[in-house]
Amino acid sequence: MTLKIDRRLLQNVDWGLLVTATVLVAVSATTLMTLHPGRAGSAVALRQLAWFGIGLLALVVVISIDYRRFVQVAPLFYVLGLAGLVAIFVVGKTVSGARRWIGVGAFSVQPSEIFKIAFVLMLVWLLCSRWAQPITVSTLLWILPVVLVPAGLIVKQPDLGTAVLLFPVLILLLFGAGISVRLLAWIAGMGAAAMPVGWLLIKDYQRERVLVYLDPLRDPLGSAYNVIQAKIAIGSGQLLGKGVSGATQSRLAFLPERHTDFIFAVFAEMWGFVGCLVLLAGYAILLLRGFDIAASSRDPVGRLVALGVTGLFATQILVNVGMVTGLLPVVGIPLPLMSYGGSSMLVSLVALGLLVSVRMRQFQ
Amino acid sequence: MAALLVIVAQLWYLQVLEGGRFLDASDKNRTRIRPVAAPRGILFDRYGRPLVDNRPAFTLSLIPRELDRDPARRGAVLGRVASLLRIPYEDLVQAAERASPDSFQPVRIRRGLGLEDVAKIEEWKIELPGVIVEVEPQRAYPTSRFAAHLLGYVREATDEQLRQGRYRRGDMVGQSGLERLLDEYLRGRDGGEQIEVDALGRPIRLIQHKEPEPGAQVVTTLDRRIQGAAERAFEGRAGAVVVMDPRTGDVLAMVSAPAFEIDRFTGTIDRAAWLSIVQDPKHPLLNRVIQSQYAPGSVFKVVVAAAGLQEGKLTPMDRVFCSGEFHLGGLTFKDWKKEGHGSVDLRRAIVQSCNIYFYQAGLRVGAEAIAKYARMFGLGQATGIDLSGEKPGLIPAPKRDRRGRLIWHAGETVNMSIGQGQVLVTPIQVARFMSALANGGVLWKPRLVQRIERSERGVVWNDPGKVMGYVELSPIVQEFLRKSLWSVVNEGGTGGGARIPGLDIAGKTGTAQTMTNSRADKGEDHAWFASFAPAHDPQVVVVVMVEGGGKGGQVAAPIAKKIYEAIFLEKVASIDIRG
Repeated sequence: MTLKIDRRLLQNVDWGLLVTATVLVAVSATTLMTLHPGRAGSAVALRQLAWFGIGLLALVVVISIDYRRFVQVAPLFYVLGLAGLVAIFVVGKTVSGARRWIGVGAFSVQPSEIFKIAFVLMLVWLLCSRWAQPITVSTLLWILPVVLVPAGLIVKQPDLGTAVLLFPVLILLLFGAGISVRLLAWIAGMGAAAMPVGWLLIKDYQRERVLVYLDPLRDPLGSAYNVIQAKIAIGSGQLLGKGVSGATQSRLAFLPERHTDFIFAVFAEMWGFVGCLVLLAGYAILLLRGFDIAASSRDPVGRLVALGVTGLFATQILVNVGMVTGLLPVVGIPLPLMSYGGSSMLVSLVALGLLVSVRMRQFQ
Repeated sequence: MAALLVIVAQLWYLQVLEGGRFLDASDKNRTRIRPVAAPRGILFDRYGRPLVDNRPAFTLSLIPRELDRDPARRGAVLGRVASLLRIPYEDLVQAAERASPDSFQPVRIRRGLGLEDVAKIEEWKIELPGVIVEVEPQRAYPTSRFAAHLLGYVREATDEQLRQGRYRRGDMVGQSGLERLLDEYLRGRDGGEQIEVDALGRPIRLIQHKEPEPGAQVVTTLDRRIQGAAERAFEGRAGAVVVMDPRTGDVLAMVSAPAFEIDRFTGTIDRAAWLSIVQDPKHPLLNRVIQSQYAPGSVFKVVVAAAGLQEGKLTPMDRVFCSGEFHLGGLTFKDWKKEGHGSVDLRRAIVQSCNIYFYQAGLRVGAEAIAKYARMFGLGQATGIDLSGEKPGLIPAPKRDRRGRLIWHAGETVNMSIGQGQVLVTPIQVARFMSALANGGVLWKPRLVQRIERSERGVVWNDPGKVMGYVELSPIVQEFLRKSLWSVVNEGGTGGGARIPGLDIAGKTGTAQTMTNSRADKGEDHAWFASFAPAHDPQVVVVVMVEGGGKGGQVAAPIAKKIYEAIFLEKVASIDIRG
């Protein structure tokens, strides 16, 4: 396969989006580097940048191919993704009590991360199929197993956060596909009714997390430890932050998961409220560009792809920052582009690639 | 977008509104206070030689906050410590539960760890979170029993002391002797280190260091050399020795035997060892110098002589024929010498310690006058020495009933005349009595502490000495008594065992029957020798009391001789004991 990108397409690359993402990754790398003094810090930062490089390559590949092609073969991706989720239970690695990774050579891949893209493409494929329009209850019944099967598999890993993520994306895509407001309300009601059932299905420690969310002093050194230490880290940053050397919560490891899920708290401790505003503004630019791309796409497939991908970003960002700041219960969701982790970085860049691709081809 | 605004609002709340509180919380997270114990003040002898010292000792402690929360894992850690150091597991669990689980204050488990034990703990360190080995200054003594009763032992605050609220658990507190009396001065103020630690409690760097304020230095009146010599001379005996400077009342040495091993109390002592000391029939914890009351025996004859001469009831020329027995009413009182001393005058009676003479002299002087002079010499009353638990002794006073008749038997006067019967004195009283005789009648309060100094503030307390009273004796009487006591040692008297050619020792022997008029227990008699030297210019008083030692002249006097030899004849740079 040769990469044939014609010049017109190249002119329409959304450089603003890519630059914003690159800046966010640079912030991530510096934050990771300052977490450890000396060589250990640079090693972590370099690995993150290496994943960024690999992700950029993937992005270029994604851009060079028409996104409609991806949607056409979405069922294949979806089935492969499901296979990956099933494979976890056979050859998965257990890290801190959860089977989320599969070893591939020297690397570990997190199938649930990669599945998110396949999921978005699959939903777009379904909703754009001729039989699916207009959206009725029967369409929904078709869609339901497509969502519930992988969600169940992911919950079983257990990875509640990623599973929960699928639903807002679904809602957003249904909305984008022109579902009637009445039906949407009906779905919301069903979801609310299903919550007690979900409560029974989730694991004890997950239930504990929700309870701790409601009452942080329940168990200050046990399950609430993360939340409390994150709040202390963020709060102690105050208006202007404690700087790199003064960030004791992060550098002395009081903050757990500081490289991955709680990296926002590290940043908040170092740079304070002002720094957080700048960082959030960066993410806001990213999301606004995404929604703008969705809105300006004349192709329904492109619009849904852009909407789904942006929705994926938005949910992850809001849920992650929400849980780190103590607004939401703790669910293991990384902050896109900031959290350390290869799969997450790769998937984020592929998602960006899809966005850029939709933008490039919006006039076609 | 609305969600984003909620997040910004939450950040505003956390970082700007509540930021200060969280900053405090993060500082509390990263810093630990590690107390650094203040070294206890040192006690010096009168020449600045240390009587005790401090050396670093290892203490096993628990930091409650750093122990595992999980009962099973904490139990495993404590169990490992228990098996490594052979400490009862229950003790560890109790100690861990005694403190608040959030406390960083170390809970001391065992003091005085051996190097081997320290190595064991350090080796397992990674697997023993919350278990540390602290270095604390601990008392060290020249010898295990050195001046044990005088110095006293230092030990962790007892439950009762904790209830009084002046101490924290684990504080080392003086529990007896000078350590207890001067605890406030000796204790000093603990310093501390503020350390930055990581989440696992590993120290990262030192933030702040507050030097501990060492305890004050105490200059006592003791002479370490004389104390050592007295202890050696008294080796293996039970009883007491007091060496005093009659010119000032300074206590130069104080021995009570048997003594306890002070250093054993400092570390961890197990129940059995504790009980064996407390329940020892020889009472090693008793300070016999001030807490044991004995009949003075013939030493008391000096009081009778002084009373008789000063009151005009006796003259040196009065003679009595001693046949070895004295009859009063239906009772027969015997002399210690069966065949008697023949015709004796007062001086001869003192020198030979003739009982028969003093029976009759006592009756002539009268019990009331004898009691008056005994009290004047400070007998039968506490000396006020700076040690707690002093016993007063007893001088029986004849009382009169409503019609003015004595409620008193002549036989009691007879017994009193030779220091038997109800008369009870302590060795420190006898030493002061001898000092008053030697210095012309000044009754000093025995002095133990000269001054207390702090390193930066200089002298914070000093004792200029205190006169408690005067013994009103005419110079002629004093001179007569001093001469007589010189003869006891140097002219074939009962105190010949203390004689050192060239050194004029004056003294009086005493053999106190432990049970009045009991012949069966002769072997149990207490042996006294009370003396001073040189006779013409007294510089030291030496009082020796050997429990169950037998005759004073045979047992106590030779011990005193050894002490005098050490004081005056050993080659020392300076013989001036005035200090």
